[in-house]
Formats: sequence, C-alpha cells, structure tokens
Amino acid sequence: MINRKAIGYITANYTCRTSSKLTECRPLAALPVFGRYRLIDFPLSNMMNAGIKTVGVVMPSNYRSLIDHMESGRDWMLDRKKGGLFLLPGNAFGASKRGMRFLLRDIIANKTLFQRSDLPYVVMCGCNIIFNIDLAEIIDAHERSGAHATMVYCRAEREHDDDVTALEIGEAGRVHALHAGCSFGDNKFLDCCVINRNVLLDIIDNYQDVDHLDLFEAIEPEFGRIDVCSYEFKDLAFGVFDEQSYYQRSMEMLRPDLNDRLFNPDRPIMTKAHDAPPAKYCTGSTVCNSLVSAGCLIQGTVRGSILARDVIVEHGASVSNSIIMQSCVIRSGARVENAIVDKNNVIPAQTELRGTPDATLIIPKAPLATKELATLD
Amino acid sequence: MSKKECIAMLLAGGQGSRLGALTSKIAKPAVSFGGKFRIIDFSLSNCANSGIDTVGVLTQYRPYLLNSYVGSGEAWDLDERGAGVSILPPYATQEGGSWYAGTADAVAQNIGYIKEHDPEYVLILSGDHLYRMDYRKMLKSHIEHNADLTISVMPVPWEEASRFGIITKDPEDDRILKFTEKPEKPDSNLASMGIYIFSTKLLIDALEEDALDPRSSHDFGKDIIPKLLEENRRLYCYEFHGFWKDVGTISSFHETSMDLLGENPEFDLFDKNFPIMSNVTTRPPHYIGSDARVEDCLISNGCKVFGSVRHSIISTDCVIDERAVVEDSVLLPGAHVKAGAHVARAILGENSTVEEDVKLGSVDVTKDTAVVGNDVVIGKGE
Repeated sequence: MINRKAIGYITANYTCRTSSKLTECRPLAALPVFGRYRLIDFPLSNMMNAGIKTVGVVMPSNYRSLIDHMESGRDWMLDRKKGGLFLLPGNAFGASKRGMRFLLRDIIANKTLFQRSDLPYVVMCGCNIIFNIDLAEIIDAHERSGAHATMVYCRAEREHDDDVTALEIGEAGRVHALHAGCSFGDNKFLDCCVINRNVLLDIIDNYQDVDHLDLFEAIEPEFGRIDVCSYEFKDLAFGVFDEQSYYQRSMEMLRPDLNDRLFNPDRPIMTKAHDAPPAKYCTGSTVCNSLVSAGCLIQGTVRGSILARDVIVEHGASVSNSIIMQSCVIRSGARVENAIVDKNNVIPAQTELRGTPDATLIIPKAPLATKELATLD
Repeated sequence: MSKKECIAMLLAGGQGSRLGALTSKIAKPAVSFGGKFRIIDFSLSNCANSGIDTVGVLTQYRPYLLNSYVGSGEAWDLDERGAGVSILPPYATQEGGSWYAGTADAVAQNIGYIKEHDPEYVLILSGDHLYRMDYRKMLKSHIEHNADLTISVMPVPWEEASRFGIITKDPEDDRILKFTEKPEKPDSNLASMGIYIFSTKLLIDALEEDALDPRSSHDFGKDIIPKLLEENRRLYCYEFHGFWKDVGTISSFHETSMDLLGENPEFDLFDKNFPIMSNVTTRPPHYIGSDARVEDCLISNGCKVFGSVRHSIISTDCVIDERAVVEDSVLLPGAHVKAGAHVARAILGENSTVEEDVKLGSVDVTKDTAVVGNDVVIGKGE
C-alpha cells in the first residue's frame, strides 16, 4: 500500500568540514560510494521505500553532478504527475557547519513546498549519514506518540564525533536538549526527523528573526511547548564527514554481513540505472575480498578493494585496499595500494601509488578523455 | 499520427519449447541471457540503436513477465510520444477472436496497429536472436533495390544449412530466386535470419490474402515468402556479416553464452558504440569472498561468490557458497549453489538451488548440458 502520509525534504547543500579533493569537484550529496551509489541515493531510497511521492531536494550551488544523477527522479519513482521531485534553492551559509543540517533559512525560503501539500507530515533527511531505514515505521511511531516532531538517533559508537549532535532524552522518549558533538554512548542525531506539517508552517511564520539557526536549535528553548519525541534506530548508520571516515566506512562494506544489512532487498537502495554489462574476469585474474561493479574488466589482481563501474585492471596490475571510482584504468604492471582513485584516472603502466592505512592517498578526479567528450550528448 | 518511415513488429509469442525447463513458466524472449539481460533486449536495443522508435511486440505464450519487463519501452529509451513499444496480444472483436495461428497471422491480426502508424516500411523481427544490427543499412538496401521484400541473410556452414530457411540468389544483383525452408539438400548456404523488411502495402495485401487461404499455415517462411516468389515480386536479400546466433535451443543457448567469455569475444557486450540496453533492477556491486577463485567469467550485480567459478556466466543475485565449484555453466538470476556442490556444464534456472555437496552435470562435452528449471531445488540423489 502506498503511504500517503508524508512529503520528503532532503538537504543536499551541505558539505563536510574539511575541504577534500573528493568534494572539490562535486557536492557531497553526489559523492560516489560503495561502487555504484552516491550519498543522496540513501535518503531518496528511504523515502521511496516509505511510499513518499513528493520530495523536495535543497540543492548545493555546484549542482551539475547531482542533477545529472537524479534526472527526473525516475529511479526513485519520483517522476510523478501528482507530486514528484522538486529541486529547491539552498543557502550557501553554513554549508560546511557541524551539527544538524536543517538550516531554518532554507526551510523558510521553501515554504511553498510545505504549503502546497495536504499530507500531515514532513520527513526531513540530510545526506551525510548513510543508513537504510524503514521511514514508514517511524512515521507510524511518530503518529502514535502524538508528538509534534520525532528525531531519529542511534547510539554513538565512537569516542568523539564533532560533526553530529547529541540528544538529551528524558521520559517517554522526549528530547530535552541538544549538545554539539557526540561521545561514546550518546544519542547521536542522524539528521533525520518527522515533523507535523502544520507545526513546521507555524515555525516558519514565527522564527524568521532567527533564520540563521538550525530548525531544532531555534525551537530548543521551547522544547516542551513543542513536543519533540525521539526514535532509536538500531541498524547500521555511517557518517561521511571526511576522507578518512569515507574510506573506513567504505571498507567496512567488504564485510558480507554488514553489506547484507545495508542492502536489505526488502528496502532496496536505488540509484541511476546504467547499461553496463556484467563485470568480466579474464583468465589469470585474481580477485578476493572485493566489491566489483558492472562493466569492470579485470585481468590483474584485486584485493580488499571496491571497484566502481567500468574500471579496467590490466594484466599484471594490482589494486589492494583501495577505492577505484568509475572509468579508471589501471595499466599493466601498475600497483595501487591504500588509495582512493577518483573518476576517469588512467594510472600509467608500472607506476606505484601507495598510501598507508592511516593516510589514504587520494588521486583527484581526472578530466574526461577527449574521445569520450566527443561522444557525450 | 504523423507518417513514419519504418516501424518494427517483433514476434515474441512463441513458446520456445526447445528451451525446455527454461520456458516452462516464461516466454522465450523473456529468458535471462548474458548475466543481466533478457533475450528480447538484443532486438529492442537494435531497434533503439537503429533509430526505430515504434515497436509492436506480439505476445501470446505466458506473457506476464515479458509484458512487465518491456513495459512502455522506457529502458531502451523508446518511450517517445506518438511512438514507443506496444504489447500486442491476441484480442477479441465483434466478430470474435482467436489465438495467433502463426507468425504471419500474428502480424495480420495487428494490421490495424500498422495502419495507425502508417509507415512506408515494416520490419519484422524475431525476439530470440543474438546479434547487433543497424537496420538502417538494411532499409537503405531495400529502398535502393526498390524491393517489395528484403530478407536479411548470412552465410552459414554448409553442414548446418539444412536447419535454416535457405536462399538462392541471383549472383548479379542479390535478387532472391528461390527460398526453401530447411532443405534436405541445400544448393546454397545463405540462411534467412528471420529479419524481413516489407513495403507496407505489399505486406498488408499479402497478409490479407493469406488469411483467406484455408490451406495456409500462416507462417512467413512457409507461406508468405514462397507465395510472393511465385508471384514474381521483387524479393531481395541483404547480406549480413557479423555475429548472429539463434538461442532457441538448450545447446545453442549454452554455447552462445560461452561465446560471450574470453578477452576478445566475437560478440562483445562491452562494445560501447552499440550498447545493449536492459530493464534492470538496481542491485549492489557483487562481492568476491576472501577464499573465492574467479576466472574467465561474467559476474553480475548482487552476486556473492565464496567458492570457485571458472568459465561461467553468473547472473544477477546468484550466490556461490564456500567450497562450491561452478564451471562451464550459466547461472540465471537468483540461482544458489550451496557449499561443497559441484556444477559443471549446466544451466541453472532463475532462483533455483543446488543443495550442499550435490554433483550436477559433467564437463564432458559429449554429454547433454544439465538444465535446472526456474525455482527448482536439486537435492542429493536427484
């Protein structure tokens, strides 16, 4: 059954705190991850799996790759006659900030999205945290609680995490306060919430003078009058805030048990469809403990790595503990170790690229080869 | 409806009984092929890559999966306004209705569809062949010959010629002199590929005439073409050079699948100039385990390989457990080979399972290819 209770709102205009070669050429929401996905696939798919048919995406300023990826929203069933995908203007202010990612100014600027709907709830999601969540269940739990808003959190598993916000939770799961940064065991906010649409419209009208704040920062002094509940998410949640966390979270997906949980076929993660053929393994290739995407051609050796679409690993080349993005070619005899090689790079024959497990070598995105440019539409 | 130069009619209604267990539940063109594709993808991709935007797909046998797979043709970029893919099943009218009695009857019952699009030419295709062809070149040849009908042909080995419709042509100008279905003593090795371009008016006249003939079996090869030759119509052949295989039997299905492997296959799925498109479900990249061995294979998204795979095609969402061995085989989507099982020269149907430690098939090429139907579980002693 289609859940016609909520519309979606995704903030795709945030980046990460430290500038990175990986995000210089694209917004964070469009960062490729786990071979064939991009970060925004997770909030879009979570909303799709909850039957949400209207989604507004707050766009970053460098939106080209994000629009290229989402197109009409067809892959998430968002090419609707009624509802569909709405690209919303976003503010550059605070795009690299820590903490929550629902700047009030953006919400106010896009009031129309919330006014036009006649559904009772709005589901809000950022793009920095990867998880596969049953939003329909959270909407139901929110409805049962009678609260005005429900914030989704998980238990923090790392010692210090400055990029996220901790929730102080009291009786009946009510959120009392917010704290910047998380320590082990804290209630880590996942940049995901459900809020009553009419409450959101009230906030939009009454908090204009503090529009530089985040939605929940602005209403924190009135927690109580505005009833904010919490929901604990107990499955995998990966934050991507810097190169190191990106690399580590990616490598964790080489564990089949974690992979099965994130890519639960009951709640599929969708992405832009491509026509790449299955990956081809040639005679003499050696591959172990790796994720390999469609269109790859493997003649050499690949260990403990993630290969995106259309990667070629030639005879005698070796790739280990690395992330190789789309359309890279590792030429004969080249060695790549502990590296993230961004799109379109050709690693010349016999070259060595070595990072260490703690200091991953990053090769930035290369321009498209001229021949490929000529065949672009 | 604006006037079109050429539309395609794709014959996809056959049962495909020679594919045995693989078509017990689905139509032949819907059978999975090449890891992530279905057989009909090759014809539909040819249409899309040839600029033919209007395709009628004639379905009859177990059409559900085929219909939902083809949909509006969006996966092949064919969902254009005033064009697109239309599924054409048999239907009833005020005068009654009947099943499609043959290939010609199927098209004859849809003359209305052809008239609605009002093309100059109609391309007739089979949905069970593996090849890449730019139909524009064939159409150009048809127009240059001012032909009534052009048949695409290719030379086949003489010893196989009696399996095909064989064409004898005028060596001077490619005009067809003789057409014989499966001749015992072929006098030519030019085989019809089952790809026809008709000038529309002639096609409609021929089909309407054939429909009234009680002795006709309503088949293009057996009835329509011989009749047109008899009437001394302008029949020409268009010689195709390249890879073309009928995947309608178990042995050709297996052999053609194996032909996709290797570093420089004659039919290369990796050719980006002429992409094969398909209506895929999004699945994550496949995972190759720490102790897995993979050599000379095609492996699709969503698979998990913990055992050994050699010289095989592994389709979407297959699982090969620890200590399992798969060789010279084709695993269709969702097949599961459990721990310690050994699968050789086999075709495992969609969502089939080979239980632990079971031995299935033999690498001996003189033995028949083992076939496991869709959803079938092979346990010990079976």
